[in-house]
Amino acid sequence: MTAPHRRTLSRGGRRRLTGIAMTTPALAMITLFFFVPFVMMLWMSLHDWPLLGQHRFIGLKNYRHALHDTEFRTAVIFTVKYTLVTTPVLFVLGLALALLVRHKRRGARFFQAVYFLPVVVGLASAAFLWLFMFQSDIGPAGDLADHLGLGSRTTNWFAGSTSAMLVVVSMVTWKVVGLQMLLLLTGLQSIPTEVEEAARIDGASRVQTFRYVILPLLRPTLALVLVFSVAGSLLAFDQFYVMTGGGPANSTITAVYEIYRTSFIRFQLGYGSALSALLMIVLAAVSATQLLLLRSSDR
Amino acid sequence: MRFRRAMAAGALLTSVALLGTACGGSGSDTPGSGSGTVTLWARDSQKSFINILADAWNKDHDTKVKVTVVPSANFVQKFGTAAAGGTGPDVASIDLVYLPYFASTGVLDDITDLANKLPYKDGLSAAHRRLATYNGRTYALPFTAEASVLFYNKGLFRKAGLDPDKPPTNYAEIISAAKKIRALGKDTYGYAIAGQCGGCNVFEFTPHIWASGGDVLTADGKKALFNTPEVTDALTFYRKLYTDGSMPAQSKTDTGTIQPALFQSGKLGMTPLGAFFLPVLRKDDKVDFGVAPLPGRNGGSASFAGGDEIAVTKNAKNKAKAQEFVRWATGEQAQTVLAQNGIVPVRTDLIDKIYTPLDPRYKVLAEAMEKGRTPYSTVENALFNDNNGPWVRMINRAVFDGDIAKAQKEGQQAAQSIIDDAP
Amino acid sequence: METDSRNLVAAIRQSLPRAAWWAVCASLAVLFLYPLYVMLSQSLKTPGEAAAAPPTPYPHRLSLDNFRALGGDTGIDIVASAGNSLLVSLGATLATVVLSTVAGYGFARLRFPGSNILFYATLATFMIPFQAVITPLYLLLNNLGLQDSLLGLAAVYTTFQLPFGLFLMRNSFAAVPRSLEEAALIDGCGILKALVRVVLPVAVPGAVTTALLTFFSCWNEFFAALILITDQDKFTLPVSLSVLASGSFGSVDWGVLQAGVAVTIVPCVVIYLLLQKYYVGGLLSGAVK
Repeated sequence: MTAPHRRTLSRGGRRRLTGIAMTTPALAMITLFFFVPFVMMLWMSLHDWPLLGQHRFIGLKNYRHALHDTEFRTAVIFTVKYTLVTTPVLFVLGLALALLVRHKRRGARFFQAVYFLPVVVGLASAAFLWLFMFQSDIGPAGDLADHLGLGSRTTNWFAGSTSAMLVVVSMVTWKVVGLQMLLLLTGLQSIPTEVEEAARIDGASRVQTFRYVILPLLRPTLALVLVFSVAGSLLAFDQFYVMTGGGPANSTITAVYEIYRTSFIRFQLGYGSALSALLMIVLAAVSATQLLLLRSSDR
Repeated sequence: MRFRRAMAAGALLTSVALLGTACGGSGSDTPGSGSGTVTLWARDSQKSFINILADAWNKDHDTKVKVTVVPSANFVQKFGTAAAGGTGPDVASIDLVYLPYFASTGVLDDITDLANKLPYKDGLSAAHRRLATYNGRTYALPFTAEASVLFYNKGLFRKAGLDPDKPPTNYAEIISAAKKIRALGKDTYGYAIAGQCGGCNVFEFTPHIWASGGDVLTADGKKALFNTPEVTDALTFYRKLYTDGSMPAQSKTDTGTIQPALFQSGKLGMTPLGAFFLPVLRKDDKVDFGVAPLPGRNGGSASFAGGDEIAVTKNAKNKAKAQEFVRWATGEQAQTVLAQNGIVPVRTDLIDKIYTPLDPRYKVLAEAMEKGRTPYSTVENALFNDNNGPWVRMINRAVFDGDIAKAQKEGQQAAQSIIDDAP
Repeated sequence: METDSRNLVAAIRQSLPRAAWWAVCASLAVLFLYPLYVMLSQSLKTPGEAAAAPPTPYPHRLSLDNFRALGGDTGIDIVASAGNSLLVSLGATLATVVLSTVAGYGFARLRFPGSNILFYATLATFMIPFQAVITPLYLLLNNLGLQDSLLGLAAVYTTFQLPFGLFLMRNSFAAVPRSLEEAALIDGCGILKALVRVVLPVAVPGAVTTALLTFFSCWNEFFAALILITDQDKFTLPVSLSVLASGSFGSVDWGVLQAGVAVTIVPCVVIYLLLQKYYVGGLLSGAVK
């Protein structure tokens, strides 16, 4: 009587155990090399912890200070502004490129490789490259603008907050859009062509097919792309450190840049940790929202 | 089938890779143990000579010095983190402006006795010695010297009708020379600064203030003097250079990467830089240049004494040998090696023997170094070197936005609060 | 006559989209390649010409001086650094791919209580700025005896690449219809066999993407490599390049820097071209029947 019952249970149980076994190595690694330092960081955030010297437990004082810190607040606002500009640009362009190279035409793979090429350049290297390109007087981009009548060789592209940010956005777009294109391509390729063809046969226009058939099936990929894109933008640092140095007049300092200054220039590791914890809470909330909104209905 | 082979290959590669990294990683257990090695950290700006120096020592000594060159921009973080974790080097060559900080946090070994026993003690750069002293004890010896001077393009001077052998000696003369050179052409500029670089400006701008009789900090570093008339005059001087159009647009945002390149290209009349730049220009052999002392408002001159000090760390494993190396580094043999590689020696008693004869322009540098001064502060990094800190903000705002009085007032406030908040 | 011209118009109209496609793609390609051209031309200029203002559009005299400067008369062995980078990047890449593939399948198919929460918790790894945890990480590696070791660095890299790999692989496996798996299971395969025979081929694009991105991230990573490695012999490429390209006072030798970047890119391009074959191949052959 109980025999078939037991067999089903053990099968499900075996699946679960295998699941646990399969996920354990990755989880173990993340626990050891991330969660342990993370907890240490939280512990540090409750202290006045200079890089060198004695530590002092001060409870939540760092967090209280952070909420009144105007420099940090300005940095966060700028970071949000930057994210709001970069994310749609990257996504729209990435999607456009993916749709372009999706065709099975002869040049498609070549163009796909070309658009992906900047991804293999390191972020700091790309930042230095574009910093050089847009220098007044010795930069080729300024020179090109001069020849094309779009600007003068002596314009300092980094002297205005907006123009400085836009140069950085352009650099990041150039470097990262190929990756988004690739990820979206993977997502697009996993949609069986029969589904698309069926929609077209039913009379849907290309745009309609895209909106009602492709986009919903693309949701998991969209979630992946957007979550990491937004996270990457909210955590932006290297590109501003190299290209604008936080300027002009500290107007392009991002949240992580401020954390870097706190921890590594003012050597206040405790306060820096508190700021990081706050930033993470923001990020987690934003990511959770994104995942909820983009959750696939058939799960 | 193909998959199984791929998996096997993958597994093999992983194990080889991990094994390789494991083997690569196990050699670091006991640096500097026994008579073996003394580890030395230097900054990348010293890479051209530090290995030559180490080789000179290793030739005659059993204990070998092992050099690690660290990127300058991150030296303080790396050294600080390592010191905090107890895994730093035995000996470190540290930018002298950071000495008060490191000395005050207890990561350096007290070498007062060693320093006092040196026969040439008084011939060592005074500025270096002052910065290495904390609470009356000495924590490092002077190692390399740097001085800030005015570089000027003799070719452009001639073209502008200026005497190439008579460089400017006060603010007014610089302003007028810069204007004349700017008038030479659309692409030619009279004067350039690195407007977003704190370290550059404390190095190049402060001497103008000193030569005019002022200062940016009190001698004990406890009070900021940003809001003083000499600072106002100096800021006004820079501002005039900018409003005259003598400065290129990039000076506003340059973090120090562009200023030297522009002078190298031959399109810049004058710029303040340091001794490090001389060998670069000589190697290029493109610009006919001269060097002059940085003047004050009405004459006089001053210079920022920069460079490195060499210290033994508290956690050094081979202290006796480390101290011996540190002492050797200030001796004649070591300092001569430095001089031959274009570095200003810290031995003012030897400078005319080993350095000045190597190039006629070195004389200006030697004199600048002897007169050199350095601000003393345990919060130098947050105060001056931070490219987003109060020093840079004040200069940038005053020179490029124009509201000098406001910039000074806010700069003074911010600077003083950093000093007051220091542990 | 009329049919001819109508055919011609039809032919033109047919080829217009294709021509337009080529025009758009080609102009974009020029935009994308321009900065890389600048980098290459800058690296091949003489040091004097590299600092010229206004800049020359191409090297008037080809010179390998900048590349020679990388050769290092300054004690930095760039070949050894490249070797270190290769070891660390390959190690981290393989570890990441293997771990995220296995775990991704576990999260996608073999649910257990709490698996969802654990999965989203791993994403937290991505939400902390690296600067924040670097000092605790440094101290942790110290305690584990992994300080100043390439193995420790590879382990850190693996950990921080895992969230992306997990997400991607979980997505890939989830996209495989259960019917396919069920069919294989009914045919008598064990879970592992079902995984290898049926599911894995479809997950190849995801695995290749994970591998590519992990490799590039590790290969180009600077900050952790700088702080966690102290022995110059174990420096990775980005750290060595930063030392070689620096002048004093934060000034940059543009020519040497670009030469260094050019050198850095080559292995990445090679790996991309190698893996791209499997990637595209996987797409074509792994199509769901």
